[in-house]
Amino acid sequence: MKKKGIISTCIILAIAIVCTVIAGTSFYNKRNFKEDIVTEGSAVTRTYKLSTYNKNLKGTIANVDIYVLEGKEPGGSILILGGTHANEPAGHMAAIVMLEQLTVEKGTVYVIPQINMSGLSHNDPLEGQPQFIHFTTKDGSVRTFHFGSRAANPIDQWPDPDIYTHKPSGQGLSGSETRNLNRCYPGQKYGTLSEQVAYAVTNMINTEKIDMEIDLHESSPEYAVNNACVAHERAMAIAAEGVLNLEMDDISMRLEPSPVTLHGLTHRELGDFTDTYALLLEVGNPSQGRFRGYTDEKLVITGEDPCYVIAQKLGLLYVDYSAGNFPLSLRVARHVAGCAAFIQAYNDSLDDDARAIIIDNVPDYHEMVETDDLGLYLR
Amino acid sequence: MTPYVITFVLMLGVFMVGCFALKWPVGVSMMAAAVIGAIEGGLGTETIRMMVEGEFGYVDTILTIASAMVFMKVIEDSGGLDALSSLIIEKFHKVPAILLILIMFIIMFPGMITGSSTAAVLSAGSIMAPVLMLMGCDAVTAGSIIAMGGLLGMIAPPVNTAALIICAGIDVPYVGFTGPLLLLTFPLAIIIVLLLGLRKVKNLDYEKLKPALEKQDAVRKQYGFKIYLPFIVLVILMIFFKVLKVTEDLGMPVIFLLSAFVGLFTGRKINVLKTVPEAIRTATPVMAILMGVGMFIEVMTATGVRGLIVMTCLSLPSILWLIVACTSIPLFGAVSSFGACSVLGVPFAYIYASYLGGNAVVVLAAISLIASVGDMMPPTALAGLFAAQVTGVKQYTKILKKCIIPIVILLAWAAFFLAKSKLIAGLF
Repeated sequence: MKKKGIISTCIILAIAIVCTVIAGTSFYNKRNFKEDIVTEGSAVTRTYKLSTYNKNLKGTIANVDIYVLEGKEPGGSILILGGTHANEPAGHMAAIVMLEQLTVEKGTVYVIPQINMSGLSHNDPLEGQPQFIHFTTKDGSVRTFHFGSRAANPIDQWPDPDIYTHKPSGQGLSGSETRNLNRCYPGQKYGTLSEQVAYAVTNMINTEKIDMEIDLHESSPEYAVNNACVAHERAMAIAAEGVLNLEMDDISMRLEPSPVTLHGLTHRELGDFTDTYALLLEVGNPSQGRFRGYTDEKLVITGEDPCYVIAQKLGLLYVDYSAGNFPLSLRVARHVAGCAAFIQAYNDSLDDDARAIIIDNVPDYHEMVETDDLGLYLR
Repeated sequence: MTPYVITFVLMLGVFMVGCFALKWPVGVSMMAAAVIGAIEGGLGTETIRMMVEGEFGYVDTILTIASAMVFMKVIEDSGGLDALSSLIIEKFHKVPAILLILIMFIIMFPGMITGSSTAAVLSAGSIMAPVLMLMGCDAVTAGSIIAMGGLLGMIAPPVNTAALIICAGIDVPYVGFTGPLLLLTFPLAIIIVLLLGLRKVKNLDYEKLKPALEKQDAVRKQYGFKIYLPFIVLVILMIFFKVLKVTEDLGMPVIFLLSAFVGLFTGRKINVLKTVPEAIRTATPVMAILMGVGMFIEVMTATGVRGLIVMTCLSLPSILWLIVACTSIPLFGAVSSFGACSVLGVPFAYIYASYLGGNAVVVLAAISLIASVGDMMPPTALAGLFAAQVTGVKQYTKILKKCIIPIVILLAWAAFFLAKSKLIAGLF
């Protein structure tokens, strides 16, 4: 009996070791995977590190690249943030598409596509989501990108408090929100990793005197703030004109004021603590919603989900899901078109064009939607 | 949707067969159901990664349970538990109804500041169990009071983890919850403890009880004030870090372990190498359940079963939503009450706070109270199982049976808040 017990214990232990090695390798590969963002042939004129604006980030996973696209003429500047929530791939991918495709005639475009690199390095427990998404480019090569978590990796920031108290407002939020970058602005120089990143972004905007900032997100289709632009009150006029520009191009977008009482978000704190025009764009993403069915890379890319078809029929959604899908190509196209429209609105708001930002080679929204192949817009 | 139904039936079937036919532990049955669900659902090579990832969803809770159990064993072996029971009876025996209410609030306290019914049951619940039994409650009644105290404690302010999970899901700051949560929980706590215990303790005769307290009194006399030090350290650390928030939170596991460490020197001699492994052995089945729950939910989500459950509930006529919320959320709590908050609590919060235009704070508070019942639902039933453990009740179902009326009252109270959220919000 004793011998039998030892044998079964050894078998269970061996299975546990095998599972540990397989899962451990998977987590290790995810954590250490480096996305190849192609700057060769693009309009990127230089790259440098986020730690320029907070030295504490040196040596951490959060010390990501800032891609700079400088025009021939000096002018205004814009910062585009992608990947704040790493389970919202349209924001991440739209930033990459823009830095690889745009050209800049006047002014400077700063792009940080991996602003929450810690979040990109893992997945949310209990959410059953894929680790990576893949695209085939024009030349047939396959490019791989992270699909990550809304929150920073617990390896970088753990444990969570019971209640997260936002600084400096003192607002209470769920403890896990302490790892949500978009609840940590304006940030703390010596705070948690997420607060340090937020501090670096705030400091960057103040140091570089960046005129406009756009944070690219996605939201569950059942969430009220969807297919929308959320604007700080100082940016409201620009946002309103941008929304009209989009409407004229048959892209419907809601305009939402940044709630004064909800702290820690880019559209609230960057508007309050810097002089930038702070905007945040949302687009519906079935792969992060709570109604979703089978969750895999296909759902992320195509946005096809039978559960959301039912939800649409029940009238529970805030996006038009009548086509039975909401593909990533469409979501990225909305973000790209949104950025171009708000830049145009910003230019229109200027008394003279000394601080204008003129961009070119913007992928066409309708073409992106029609081709439904994001790989065509990657180098 | 048919493939999701097949996966769901298969997972449920494997779980039932494992649990009831093969008599496997609940955690192992859940793991088996998750493995089969993952294979049938076509997760392929992702299966093992997702199983391990799912377990990580409950790492913090598992650490709290393990450390709380170490604390409980230490104060039990040191004699601290006996001494405190005897002291409370001696001081408050003249007013049994007030004593019962006081005991209920004490049971709730650790839950209030940690948001966990487990913490409440294992710390204050284990301390109050002998007191309740000495007052005249049978073990099942004592266990029922402790379990219900755990549920209400996890929902009462300041920390309500269930509400916090839903807050994060619908972008509502955790602000303005204190009033609604107090109104939701404290009247219920008073009614429930009196309903369950008053009949048993109203004829409390301290003189008759004295001989039974001999052992406990002896410990008090032998060690004096220092026997209470672990409790004092626990309360001080909780207030220091959780209420006053003087500095960065140490976290409940460290607080429990520091208090347990103090307990090593304040009473009867303790063999750490015997007590700690014993504590972990006691906690292992529950920790295994939580690991199984993590795997189960992760696979459910990845294979579409979660979406199937949510959409099935929301597809019912809207006039039934209230009943559906009050039944489906606690029933899903059989897997995990916090899981129920995320899987069903968030969609129902969208429905009531956004779609039907209710008051978000009151809606979230009410849904969190409904979700707390999940901690009584077998097979996981964290509050119920631990309450049975600390009172020595062999069959947990006896406690569940005793709690049915209080649970119905609790759900009716929560449903009223959910349906009339705007009216309630007007009070604050």
